[in-house]
Amino acid sequence: MKAQRLVKSSLRAMARYKLRSGFMMLGSLVGVAALTFVISIGATAERKLLGTVRQLFGASSIVVSAGGGFFMGGSRAEAARLTIDDLETIAQELPGIEVWDPLQVLPGAQLRRAEQTTTARLMGQSERSERVWERGTTSGEYFDAAAVAGSARVALIGETVARELFGDQDPLGEEILIGSVPFRVVGILERFGTDVHGMDRDAEVVVPISTAMRRVMNVDSIRAAKLLVKDPSLVEETTRQVKRILRERHALAAGQPDDFTVVTSLAVQKMVGRIERVFFLYLPLVAGVSLLAGGAVAGSLMLASVNERVAEIGLRRAVGARPEDIRAQFLIETAVTTLGGGVMGIVIGGAGALLLASRMGLGGVLSGQAIALGIVLSTVTGLLAGLLPARRAALLQPADALR
Amino acid sequence: MIQLQGVGRTYQRPTGEAVRALDNVSLRIERGEFVAIVGSSGSGKSSLMNILGLLDRPDQGSYLLDGQNVADLSVNQQARVRNQRVGFVFQAFHLLPRTSALENVELPLLYSDRSEIDGLGRRALEAVGLSDRIDHRPSELSGGQQQRVAIARALVNDPDLLLADEPTGNLDAGSAGEIMGILETLNRAGRTIVLVTHDAALAAHCGRIARLEAGRVAADDHRAPAKDAAQEGR
Repeated sequence: MKAQRLVKSSLRAMARYKLRSGFMMLGSLVGVAALTFVISIGATAERKLLGTVRQLFGASSIVVSAGGGFFMGGSRAEAARLTIDDLETIAQELPGIEVWDPLQVLPGAQLRRAEQTTTARLMGQSERSERVWERGTTSGEYFDAAAVAGSARVALIGETVARELFGDQDPLGEEILIGSVPFRVVGILERFGTDVHGMDRDAEVVVPISTAMRRVMNVDSIRAAKLLVKDPSLVEETTRQVKRILRERHALAAGQPDDFTVVTSLAVQKMVGRIERVFFLYLPLVAGVSLLAGGAVAGSLMLASVNERVAEIGLRRAVGARPEDIRAQFLIETAVTTLGGGVMGIVIGGAGALLLASRMGLGGVLSGQAIALGIVLSTVTGLLAGLLPARRAALLQPADALR
Repeated sequence: MIQLQGVGRTYQRPTGEAVRALDNVSLRIERGEFVAIVGSSGSGKSSLMNILGLLDRPDQGSYLLDGQNVADLSVNQQARVRNQRVGFVFQAFHLLPRTSALENVELPLLYSDRSEIDGLGRRALEAVGLSDRIDHRPSELSGGQQQRVAIARALVNDPDLLLADEPTGNLDAGSAGEIMGILETLNRAGRTIVLVTHDAALAAHCGRIARLEAGRVAADDHRAPAKDAAQEGR
């Protein structure tokens, strides 16, 4: 009852000094807005990143690519050789491997259908890619092992390709030219959207690996392969064995660098972890610093307010306020003000984050963590900022304060 | 009701010099009295007022309020006594700015343990004749009206002791008369009032005049109050 009256009275006092309260709110508003914005954007990007990583690697997978250096084509990718035979040997020797899928890529393949032309990424894969890459078809059917064995001229096209070449028409069963080679469209790939690199994954064509190698690109090596391991605990050991077999088959002497790259879901998870640390530690730290600055502003304004309201404090003591009532009043005033600023900051920062995310086509999320953190931090800032002014107010001697 | 025995209070000036504001003051005030404490400025009137109101503690002697030695009370217990049993009226009114008359009057209720506080503020404003000024802010009230709000605030918790420190010092003669009239009415209704003033004419309204000189009680006259003077002022 009494506490309730005190809080109400503090709120009224706050409303009496609108300009000062406004400035105090501004500090925590800016800090919390920055915090909410950064964390929400971070969470959105993280969700997108993790989604892509999960799709690329799954829980227990290994990606082998030609060339040393970095993932998906290092500096010597052209000179490197990685063959279907390499992978077949690995799959035979290592019982931990459940299934694998080879990959050859032609980034700018020319597609034509009657008068319509477009450019897309051509990917040569096996019938097992549907399972290994977890991407099937929304209509039509995936090509089968026989199609791969017989280098059939069948193609699965992404939604963007279908739209460019066929408009509103049904592409199934129709013929398209990839380069100068005619293919029959047998399926539409599941929608993927934009990946972390900003690439439209629906502007793709998937054909049997053998057809891509022999009829379109005229190469006898593959770019990469993805291997699924039966048990996540086998990933590390299998990776070691994959490297050993490849080095043996490529006749690499000790000390010579790998001419291939092996990336596992574990390694990627570590990398994602590093990125997350930036999002969730350093960036909020920056926002926290601005909150700190806001707290300092609130504290000094409150201190000035105590000095200005000495007579009021004396009067309150005279009519029966205990020192702790005075302390509570100033703490509540500061905390409620900064909390008010914090709530506004959450609204502004959250709205900004959602706006940016939707502009980048990321499908934003409002981080619940950010909201909770914003509320807690702005309250704590207020309490800390109010501590010294409240203490000074409580220590005033009533007789001195009234003089 | 009030019993001061050999009370002394020494202040330290910022320069380090000690000032003896009260020196061996002994005073007894009975319930229902209307006492004026007079003296020139610097005679210790305000120091005595602060000690009577528990805003300050004596550093010598003892102060018994209704038989209770206030030196034995904790800071919080003293706050409670100020809240429940003492009402203050100041020369400078000390109303909260930008706050309605009613909220100002209800301020002591904020610190009271009473659970039933509805209407007390209104009733107190009614008692000083300001029912029609409830929502006015101090800046919208005349000096006399502001002081009446302050009296209503002093009365809201129904204390038995009213301490008024130069309550008419900032007012014109007409308003001063009104305020004195209110104080006399309150005294007739049984409230003990201690009025600090340097104005002999005001002191003449009181049943008793204690004169302070250099921190000591120089005179203490019990007499019949000049009741008509208050009526003139109205």
